[in-house]
Amino acid sequence: MTKTTTKSPFSLSRRQVLAAGAATALTMPFYARRGFAADTINVGVIQPLSGANAQFGINSRNGIQLVADEINAAGGIQSMGGAKINLIISDATSNPTQAATVAQRMMSQDGVCAVLGAFASSLTLAISEVTERRGVPLLTMSFSDQVTGRGFRNIFQVVSKASQLGSATITHTLDLARKAGDEITKIAIMYEDTAYGTSQAGGLRAAAEANGIEVVMDEAYPLGITDVSPLINQLRRTQAQAVFPVSYLNDSLLIIRNMRQQGINLPTIGGAAGYIIPDFRNGLGELADDVLSISPAAYDQAPEFTERFRERFGYFMVHEAQEHAACMGVLASALEKAGNADPRQLREVIAAETFDEGWATVMSGGKIKFDETGLNIHAVPMMVQWRGDELVTVAPAEYAKAEAVWHRL
Amino acid sequence: MEYLIILLQTLLDGIMIGGVYAVLAIGLSLVFGVMHIVNFAHAEFMMIGMFIGWACWHFLGLDPMLGAFIALAVTFGFGMVLQRVLIRPVLGAPQVAQIFLTVGMLFALENAALMIMGAEYRSVTTPYQTQSLTLFSHGAERVLVGMDKLYAFLMALLSGSAVWLFLNKTRFGAAMRATSQDPMAAKLMGVNTDLMYAVAFGLGVGTTAFGGSVVLPYITASPAVGSGYAVLMFTVVVLGGLGSVTGAIIGGIAVGIIQSFSALFMPIQLQNLALFVVFILVLALRPEGIVARRRS
Amino acid sequence: MTRAETLSIALPALVVLALIIAPLGLDPYGYTLRILCLMLLFCAMGQAWNIVGGLANQISLGHAAYFGIGAYSSTILFGSFGLSPLIGVFVGMALAALFALVLSLPTLRLKGHYFALATLAAGEVARVVANSWTSLTGGPVGISVPYRPDAGFWALQFQTVLPNYYLFLGAMVLVSLVFWRVQTSAFGYRLRAIKENETAAEVIGVNTYRVKLHASLLSAVLTAMLGTLYAQFQFFFDPDTIFGVATISVKMALIVILGGAGRLYGPWIGAAVIIPLEEMANSYLGNSIAGLSQFAYGVLLIVVILLNPRGLISLFESLRDRLKRRQRA
Repeated sequence: MTKTTTKSPFSLSRRQVLAAGAATALTMPFYARRGFAADTINVGVIQPLSGANAQFGINSRNGIQLVADEINAAGGIQSMGGAKINLIISDATSNPTQAATVAQRMMSQDGVCAVLGAFASSLTLAISEVTERRGVPLLTMSFSDQVTGRGFRNIFQVVSKASQLGSATITHTLDLARKAGDEITKIAIMYEDTAYGTSQAGGLRAAAEANGIEVVMDEAYPLGITDVSPLINQLRRTQAQAVFPVSYLNDSLLIIRNMRQQGINLPTIGGAAGYIIPDFRNGLGELADDVLSISPAAYDQAPEFTERFRERFGYFMVHEAQEHAACMGVLASALEKAGNADPRQLREVIAAETFDEGWATVMSGGKIKFDETGLNIHAVPMMVQWRGDELVTVAPAEYAKAEAVWHRL
Repeated sequence: MEYLIILLQTLLDGIMIGGVYAVLAIGLSLVFGVMHIVNFAHAEFMMIGMFIGWACWHFLGLDPMLGAFIALAVTFGFGMVLQRVLIRPVLGAPQVAQIFLTVGMLFALENAALMIMGAEYRSVTTPYQTQSLTLFSHGAERVLVGMDKLYAFLMALLSGSAVWLFLNKTRFGAAMRATSQDPMAAKLMGVNTDLMYAVAFGLGVGTTAFGGSVVLPYITASPAVGSGYAVLMFTVVVLGGLGSVTGAIIGGIAVGIIQSFSALFMPIQLQNLALFVVFILVLALRPEGIVARRRS
Repeated sequence: MTRAETLSIALPALVVLALIIAPLGLDPYGYTLRILCLMLLFCAMGQAWNIVGGLANQISLGHAAYFGIGAYSSTILFGSFGLSPLIGVFVGMALAALFALVLSLPTLRLKGHYFALATLAAGEVARVVANSWTSLTGGPVGISVPYRPDAGFWALQFQTVLPNYYLFLGAMVLVSLVFWRVQTSAFGYRLRAIKENETAAEVIGVNTYRVKLHASLLSAVLTAMLGTLYAQFQFFFDPDTIFGVATISVKMALIVILGGAGRLYGPWIGAAVIIPLEEMANSYLGNSIAGLSQFAYGVLLIVVILLNPRGLISLFESLRDRLKRRQRA
């Protein structure tokens, strides 16, 4: 007979043994390495496929999938004997700790040669801490200034930094207004207090100051704000001549509708994200017409590529899909040039070469070359404007596909 | 004069958004009051209501204010089933187990919605979204109210009074209140407490789904939309007083007013800071809420 | 010593010993080691929560505040003044104690749901402050621990994950020992008296306010320490992560409750189940339909709680009892 009760704190019995057994059984899968055939190249794709950013994560995955499928259909990577790209896709959720774990898993278990991701800059930054220490290249379209600001060697950002986007927003707006005969001297900035909103607003602020423009309203608001009336009330009392909201979708709809409710018709220049996805138009209908926005890339710049996305997925190639496709394009070219999938050699090729073939050309600027911080020096922020269900590039002049519509102040 | 108008406008904004919060929180208050369960998954039923309202608008052309009634009916049935299958087994369990069962439900519901509906944002377009009613004007200054929020406010009053009438003026409601106060005694008096719990849960999640459809012209539907409202809804319910329907409405308006007035003298970014500090203080000083729980 | 008592000391010692040698065969950069690290970290976090949440049944849903304060304190001091996290950790612990003290004034007299919701709001206050106090915390863009691989132990950062692993293991053992000391002391009995019946505890002369305050302070300080360790492991975090309701506060509580609240081995079992479970859901299902892995995780949670609402420990216990009864019959 075993003693059933004991006062001892470390009372251990079959239950703990069972527990330990169960725990061991549960952890078993982590020891099992997944084998991979020699003729495939594993590429890690980490995106937020659930949670608040799920839509953007799914768009990004679609973009990467399209490119990988095209490459494989065309015979894979030639220099590696037609090796096929095998995407290892995983959900970063909205948790940076999870994102880093996923990256670690891909490098250890799947032997990925590079990682693509992860839309939200908080996820990308967390992943980069892991890939940097392992020497695996990380290609991203996250545009927070921190991404390339830490002196990391293995991170490559195909889009302009948030501060560059912010400053381009101001200069293009001033140009468009001037062309129409308006001189803007006072602006309003409102942004959600996320990494993306804060860093882009910083760029707007700096550019306004550099151009001698007065920022008459500069207001951060909490993510998921339920009522924008206080913001718009405040806007109504300022003398702002243009308003620059930086937000995801729900806030962007709220802001535009509330402005209409209050009879405010100021030119609105959005800060990418919520302002340049099909749901913006779906939600606002014709109120969306003529709304301007900055965009790190525009699908009308490379229709011969981006229309293939529309054919397959049924909506225009949103910018995050396009930029992630460019990341995949760069990686494919680098694999082709390196002739093997060793992460360290790939890193050297990515850092050294100029990429001007295939999907790498869909980025604004038409080609990609990274500077020593890993930033794409050819990236040019685009100003786009809603025309019906489509976005059209209206600035800079050499890339414009149509004249901007500017309602005189 | 200008300052007065600003104050009036701020007050009105607060009351109106408070109506939005109230219509969402009435159901949570009911579940809380009758079953004494902190339901973390409750805001997910707002999301479900939003999707049902959206589907009614998209496929049937129904205005979300009408779709709300369909959302109520569907979710009421769904809630009854969920209660039977998941909640009832843990009614006698420790509080913490109940809390975490609902956390599991939160994950499951949000992601089931993601799998079924996809991650797109679904919004409706109605004419009144961009309309407003000018109540008062003085020179360039106006006091106005957005029609979308005015409707939501009226629907909150409607749903609040309906639930109140049900609880206080019907035999069924009396039985439900009895169950909430003393399940044993109610059972001895011949009340089917199991049924009461199921109906209370169904009605609770149903009214929140109703609220979800009502706020659709105003808030975009997506699978993750609920998580942003969970804490807010709890704040409303606790401020008003757990388990009180009138409390939920007053709590909603109180939260709206705190948020809108805080924007007058501090950055809007800190509106939730103001809210939570007031919340903690109210809890400490008056745990029964602004409106003391009515036991009749 | 009886056989049971010998076993009760030998088995946890064996588990710890196994944990000490476990990583030796593993890739020091690897994924398995990272999962083990997270298991140990969350086990320690759960154990810290267990002091108030388990023993006194004060269900705090705001422990992320202490965790975040710990992480931010050491990271800011290291980033701005080059102060070693070895010192910064104590600053974080002190600040967390201060926060716990201030928070105790309005909340400690609250009971049940009210306490849970008040602490939930307090965690959110910390998150909002960190998001808006940009000059101090860097704001929503988050903060990175400066990468100084050469500075070695003074910077508390390492080329491989192995040293982190042993830090987490040490922390886990430390917090578990603290919990055990508390549990078996008069202090622990007072806490349990509060859990059973607070009014009765007061009647027999327990100063419930003071007892709860001390437990909160202890729990807060330990949680802050773990926050620093997390920062030195993850190297980057932002307010929404470190002060997260779902990612930190609820998870800490969940681990304890799933394992067995108020029990020494509750968090051990909870962490050993939850962390791999989450990871498996992500690993096997994250590649398929968006949302499936999180859905599966939610369903698993529901199933586990429905199977036994009193935690896995009691599930094992009831299994054992049933076996015994069968043997006797």
